[in-house]
Amino acid sequence: MKPPPFSYAAPTSLAEAVGLLTEHAEAEPRVLAGGQSLIPLMNFRLAKPGYLIDLRNVAGLSGIRREGDILVIGAMTRMSEVERSAEVAVAAPLLAEAVGFIAHTPVRNSGTVGGSLAHADPAAELPAVALASDADLVAAGPGGTRRIAAAEFFTGPFSTALAPEEILTEIRLPVWPGGHAFVEFSRIHANFAVVGVAALIDLDGDRIRRAALALTGVAPTAIRAAAAEGVLAGADAADVTAAAAEAAGAAAEGLTPAGDLHASPQTRLALARTYLRRGIELATSRARNER
Amino acid sequence: MTTVDRAAAAPPVRDQSAKRRWVGQSIRRVEDPKFLLGRGGYIADRITPSCLHAAVLRSPHAHARIVRIEAAQAKAAPGVHAVITGAEAAELCDPMPDFGPDPARHTWRCLAAEKVRYVGEGVAVVVADSRYLAEDALELIEVSYEPLPAVTDPERALAEGAPLVHEALESNCAYERTFDFGDVDRDFAEADLVVRDRLRWHRSGGQPLETVGAIAEYDPGTGSFTIDTNTLSFTSYLFMAAGTLKVPVNKLDIRPVPAGGSFGSKLFANKPAVIAAMCARQTGRKVAYLEDRVDNISNCDHHGSDRVYEVELAVMRDGTMRGIKIDVIDDYGAYIQFGVGHHGNALAQVVGPYTIGSVRYRVRAALTNKNQQGAYRGFGSEVNNWMLEQMVELAARELGLDPVAVRRKNFIRDFPHFIPTGNVYDSGDYDRVLDKALELADYGHWRAEQKRLREEEGRYIGIGLISAQERSVFSATEFWFWFDEPGAPVTSTPESVSLKVDATGGITAILYSCAFWGNSPETMVSQFVAEEFDCSPYDVSVVYHGSRDGLPATGPGGSRTTVMLAGAVEGAAGKIKEKARRAAAHLLEIDPDDMEWSDGGFQVRGDPERKKSLAEIAIALHLFKHSFPADMESGLDESKVFDHPYTTMPSADRKDLGVFYPFMGHACHVPVVEVDIETGAVTFLHYAAVHDCGTLVNPRSLAGHIVGGTAQGIGTALYEEYVYDDDGQLLSSSYLDYLIPSAMEVPELVIGHVETPSPYTPHGVKGGGEGGRMMAPAAINAAVNDALYPLGVRLTELPMTPERILSALRAAGPMGGRAG
Amino acid sequence: MAPTTCTISVTVNGRPHVAEVEPRRLLVDFLREDLGLPGTHIGCEHGVCGTCTVLLNGASIRSCITFAVQADGAEISTVEGLARGGEFHPLQDEFSAKQGLQCGYCTPGMLMRACEIIAENPDPTPAEVRSAIASNLCRCTGYQFITEAVIAAAARMRATKEVAS
Repeated sequence: MKPPPFSYAAPTSLAEAVGLLTEHAEAEPRVLAGGQSLIPLMNFRLAKPGYLIDLRNVAGLSGIRREGDILVIGAMTRMSEVERSAEVAVAAPLLAEAVGFIAHTPVRNSGTVGGSLAHADPAAELPAVALASDADLVAAGPGGTRRIAAAEFFTGPFSTALAPEEILTEIRLPVWPGGHAFVEFSRIHANFAVVGVAALIDLDGDRIRRAALALTGVAPTAIRAAAAEGVLAGADAADVTAAAAEAAGAAAEGLTPAGDLHASPQTRLALARTYLRRGIELATSRARNER
Repeated sequence: MTTVDRAAAAPPVRDQSAKRRWVGQSIRRVEDPKFLLGRGGYIADRITPSCLHAAVLRSPHAHARIVRIEAAQAKAAPGVHAVITGAEAAELCDPMPDFGPDPARHTWRCLAAEKVRYVGEGVAVVVADSRYLAEDALELIEVSYEPLPAVTDPERALAEGAPLVHEALESNCAYERTFDFGDVDRDFAEADLVVRDRLRWHRSGGQPLETVGAIAEYDPGTGSFTIDTNTLSFTSYLFMAAGTLKVPVNKLDIRPVPAGGSFGSKLFANKPAVIAAMCARQTGRKVAYLEDRVDNISNCDHHGSDRVYEVELAVMRDGTMRGIKIDVIDDYGAYIQFGVGHHGNALAQVVGPYTIGSVRYRVRAALTNKNQQGAYRGFGSEVNNWMLEQMVELAARELGLDPVAVRRKNFIRDFPHFIPTGNVYDSGDYDRVLDKALELADYGHWRAEQKRLREEEGRYIGIGLISAQERSVFSATEFWFWFDEPGAPVTSTPESVSLKVDATGGITAILYSCAFWGNSPETMVSQFVAEEFDCSPYDVSVVYHGSRDGLPATGPGGSRTTVMLAGAVEGAAGKIKEKARRAAAHLLEIDPDDMEWSDGGFQVRGDPERKKSLAEIAIALHLFKHSFPADMESGLDESKVFDHPYTTMPSADRKDLGVFYPFMGHACHVPVVEVDIETGAVTFLHYAAVHDCGTLVNPRSLAGHIVGGTAQGIGTALYEEYVYDDDGQLLSSSYLDYLIPSAMEVPELVIGHVETPSPYTPHGVKGGGEGGRMMAPAAINAAVNDALYPLGVRLTELPMTPERILSALRAAGPMGGRAG
Repeated sequence: MAPTTCTISVTVNGRPHVAEVEPRRLLVDFLREDLGLPGTHIGCEHGVCGTCTVLLNGASIRSCITFAVQADGAEISTVEGLARGGEFHPLQDEFSAKQGLQCGYCTPGMLMRACEIIAENPDPTPAEVRSAIASNLCRCTGYQFITEAVIAAAARMRATKEVAS
């Protein structure tokens, strides 16, 4: 299982990297971040980019900083750095918790936040986090930089709104004041999610003021569960079980998950309902405990 | 009817009471240092810059005619030395060695020649300067296939009108026979109740972390092949591999290298060696062929049992089990290299530890468009254990009896005990194992917890308790008692050891065909040699000999290694000591009968002052010929070809299969699980396992095998399956989908040992390497069913995936299903 | 057309190397074949089993899904660097003492991962060790004696640090 041949460059600036993407467009170039998703595909010879542009030496693409109410994370920031960051733990604990579900430490040491988001696996954790958090993703291309809302970023299985010559440079997450939970069902510990839920709950006294819920593994992309969020608005946080179950049921309406050897569509739906309920309950309880 | 005088045929009963110094010690393994240093010497470590590398093009179709292969572009690719198609390989090599029922009609080749029969079957091989370049060239080969309808369900394969996997066979049923042992009809007529069930065990496999590989060289000067490979077994049958390569047997040398695990999957796995050898002869260069993971998952030829059971168990109201009728269809895949030997393993212990008096066993071997079965830890007996214990559980439920009491009611207690099939259980104490297991499992506590947690918290806890057998050391009769007129009624399954004492008294043990797979042959042999000669096990040098000029040997399999090595070492040591006694007696001018072995040498009986140490004897024999009588040869080396110590022939009518797996271990596993009825997830709260494998050579080592085997059993019970869809596509083609348990899926085991020595083997040892996996699937299924019993759910299909558990809960209706 | 190569500088077990590699050359093949360090093994080649684990700048990575060019400028630690002056590293010694290996194939990767586990958490509980080594599959041992070995090694390494400080 050896990868096919490719041309390679390790530019030292973003401009150079974008330039290479444009210059070698006909070779089906791809950027190389941590490679933890791309290289296995290449070893299977399912991906055969003619040109790999390694971002490891490009300055300014990694790091975690706060800009007021926004947590900004460079696309090349390793997942393990996010996992350990005190800044993230405070400002975006949903992200910190979700990263803990992504494979194992060795993969998180190499894998990057941007790499996972740009890969857009329909069962990946970070797209659900980005959606629930209403994050913005910043892309740099030949024409300059632009912000893409998470709601527009994931366009299909393994495809995003990034143009072929664009590179994801950073993720901008609004800081969330309330409770959070990332829960997922996988068959083997730390294996990919069959179903995953990102839940953010904000309270007003003992009522749920706002909920943001996203699911992964149940659709061609991670999705926001808007109907469920509506059910939760105004619900009693001290006794959220019934509302959570109702919200989960509302989210399941209209979901037509695919089946595979691990779970039939019916089972995926049942798991989605279960994990939505569990995620809402956990996030709500954490919101209450943090008051 | 039976023609064997059972008492007379048994080997002499041995006195096992001797005090042992090394056997029974959990010493550090002799093998470990090189592996810990990263100098294991596995097959991939032996690749040199001069090696060429092979890669195999595999079929994307489950069933198709190969119309045409265009290899010109591939041959011209950079670094390519050769491309050999299946049709070309069929000229260069004969079919693969095949112990199946009709090899001429279910012919198996190293590469498919006219048609492919499963996804992953090789159709061509490229040889290039590097594996990277070989794989580049694979993509340039154009194959035209004419797809054919595929069949992947064994019952459909046996039905009228199914696509034929082998046209020449005119059927997808490669073997069918019904065996009757004891008086089945009477036992069923007299039973108070007949318990029935249908059970399904899907195939999983060993999946060691190291794949199969070989490095081959051909010397045109001598016409000889030399092959280094991580599979070596059945030395005496290697003439079959030589036949495949079209060379005389004495021009083929297969040399074993350490393997990174096997669990059966490296047993007689000659295809990579044949492919490498064929390429070496064609290119005139040394060629390495190492399977990659996708090669191995789809094409290893060692998938495990894949069975459909219809079973009836005849019981009395008081729990006595009278007879059992077993109708089993086994899906062998596209070839059947080991025949139905897996059912011999089942028949060796088909009634488990119970006094069941009669057995009807109908076996049908179905061929389908899947990779073929091979060996996987248990070799088919673990499936029987599971099936039988499921039936015992069901009987207990239907009779309203306590499952522990039902087992005790039926335990065999007199040994040696002959079961209806004719095999013997040499020794055992099943009550003692059960008692210890109940104690280690804290059984009473968990029964109380089960009740409390369901009533107070609505949680579903289950306790599985199973008692089952783990046979060891197969006889060759198991290969052929399937046929009334077998072509080759072979009776040899030897194991050989040579012991050499050098001039300084240092001992070297030479093993033949005795692969290192993670079992500990060096440690076992070192402990046996140390026991014999009062040396340190770490002073023994153990080497592995190749096949060509080696002694006959069989290698690991059926948990035979420990017993067979014990016998071979005992035999060789006996010969050494005999010569050493005569030599010492001559040097001391004493009658040999007045000499005794004591503490590392021969002394005058009762007189340690007049003694010659082994070193003194050895140097004299090596260097001082004239000190000895003319008929005493120089040196001090002896060999023993030790064959199966207890085999008897089957009767002509096959109502008695004879003794063919006599050294019978036993175990009780008691897992406590929780089933999350919303997700179908199964987690372990506790797990106790008590095994009796006779005298233990290295208790820690055996405990390691129990845990490791149990981990694989957990995989089989809950996670692992080679999943083929209706079109024969292998859906679980990588470790993303073939799910191997990690440290989080395997609980800590509380392990107990009981030792009832075998009366027939050196030190009373029995084999025990397979036991964990032979128990765990049965125990875990029982535990899950115990948990779900209040919901009216019973799982009868393995693995018990979340999908299967949730489906069963949904089907059970409002009591069972739980929406989010 | 001859493949282009890149020049990389890597330090492996303390020894610097400069090499020409094809960009597609996997780090595990570079270590095993180009540098003659076959202690790191190949299990799956798609990043699931952890057999190929080495340390890169002290952090565990999967060398079968890393290109050698991605290690340019890095310090790599492999199993060959564990023993010093003919003496086993405490982890190696405890793996032997506890029989934390059977076939030995997963062992180098497991040892390197254990180095990282103990560096991050010098006094781990058995549950923490089990959770951490879930990154590395073992088909032989069922993980129990590996866990015991890591706990024992961690205790010895703490004691040595206390003595040293």
